[in-house]
Amino acid sequence: MMDKRSDEQLDKWIAEQARSYHEADYLPREEMWAAIQATRRSRTVRSIRPRVRWLAWSVGVAAILALGMGLGIIMANQLSDSGPSVTTIDMVPEAGPRESRVSTALAVATTEHLAQTETFLSLFRDAVRSGNDSHYAGATARTLLATNRLLTDSKISHDAALKELLQDLELVLAQIAQLQEGSWEGETDLITDGIEQRAVLRRLQTVVPAGTPRGALSL
Amino acid sequence: MARLTDDRTAVDDRQLVAEVLAGDPAAERRLYDANVDRVYRLAYRLTGDPDLAQEFTQESFIRAFDRLETFRGDAKLSTWLTSVATSVVFNGLRKVKRFRQREVDLDHAAPQADRKREAEPDLKDRLREAIDGLPQGYRTVFLMHDVEGFTHEEIGTALGIQSGTSKAQLSRARAKLRGSLAAFAGGTGS
Repeated sequence: MMDKRSDEQLDKWIAEQARSYHEADYLPREEMWAAIQATRRSRTVRSIRPRVRWLAWSVGVAAILALGMGLGIIMANQLSDSGPSVTTIDMVPEAGPRESRVSTALAVATTEHLAQTETFLSLFRDAVRSGNDSHYAGATARTLLATNRLLTDSKISHDAALKELLQDLELVLAQIAQLQEGSWEGETDLITDGIEQRAVLRRLQTVVPAGTPRGALSL
Repeated sequence: MARLTDDRTAVDDRQLVAEVLAGDPAAERRLYDANVDRVYRLAYRLTGDPDLAQEFTQESFIRAFDRLETFRGDAKLSTWLTSVATSVVFNGLRKVKRFRQREVDLDHAAPQADRKREAEPDLKDRLREAIDGLPQGYRTVFLMHDVEGFTHEEIGTALGIQSGTSKAQLSRARAKLRGSLAAFAGGTGS
């Protein structure tokens, strides 16, 4: 029987029989569409959320730093109005009451800055680890970097340990500030490696322990 | 005439893709409706499991929507989607196979009993066994060409192989199936 059947005919017969092989009898069209839409929506939310979070951070950091620095300026002006002009900010313990008030204002701004930087870097590191978009951190990093430079140049950095910390922060913040959309992904890993190697977060936590009141910088 | 149809398809594809990329949800649905049957049927053929077929089809469309800007129009959109789908299915099946192998390793007595019970399979079982026994490449080409009606050019594009390779694999697949099923053909054929 088989000899009479050509290969071609047999192939045709096999193909016909094979239509029953793993044949779908129901197409879950709407279920699949709903699942596709739900997954795509959740992915969109995940990709937008970091941008929103960085943006909120930028605004928050700018507001708090403006408050801290503003406080220092106001207090310095008050001192300026009430007595001889103050040209330097001194943190030495022997400073007089006026200088002490300026120092307190500067310490408030420094504490705020370090606390904000610590939280910012933690957020950045987590974003990198979880694969979220971290390029939007650049704007916040630039704000923090400007304040960091002001503090590095101020009398607050007479403390050697604090000066070293501020210099390390400048390096890290400058790297983050340069991140752009489309930057090489490995850049963010290098930055977080740098944060780890310099133990930046641990040192920040030492200087500004959780719950530290503003201005109570442990130098 | 075939050329005219191809040109029209290419224009339609590009138009549809442009609308989807512009964020038109109705266009997304049109793209899905036009292709889901083909993608799901192929996923089911290749997996034999409705849950896996559903999961792989969903993942195929999610991936296709995510990467739609990479569609250049060199092939038909349906072929490009088939390419995405076969990639998803094969990668997914590798993971499933590894997972199931671990389960078998843990409980390896049961499958032996099942195999012995199939000593005299009927045609349907023998057919399934014969197709399952084909190397993956042969099996995929056979199912896509002889069962689902894809052309060798479409198969080549979808699987990233030459159409000549597709033809050769189909020829070998058919030869193997003939050898396995010839005994049934005499009494069952038309």
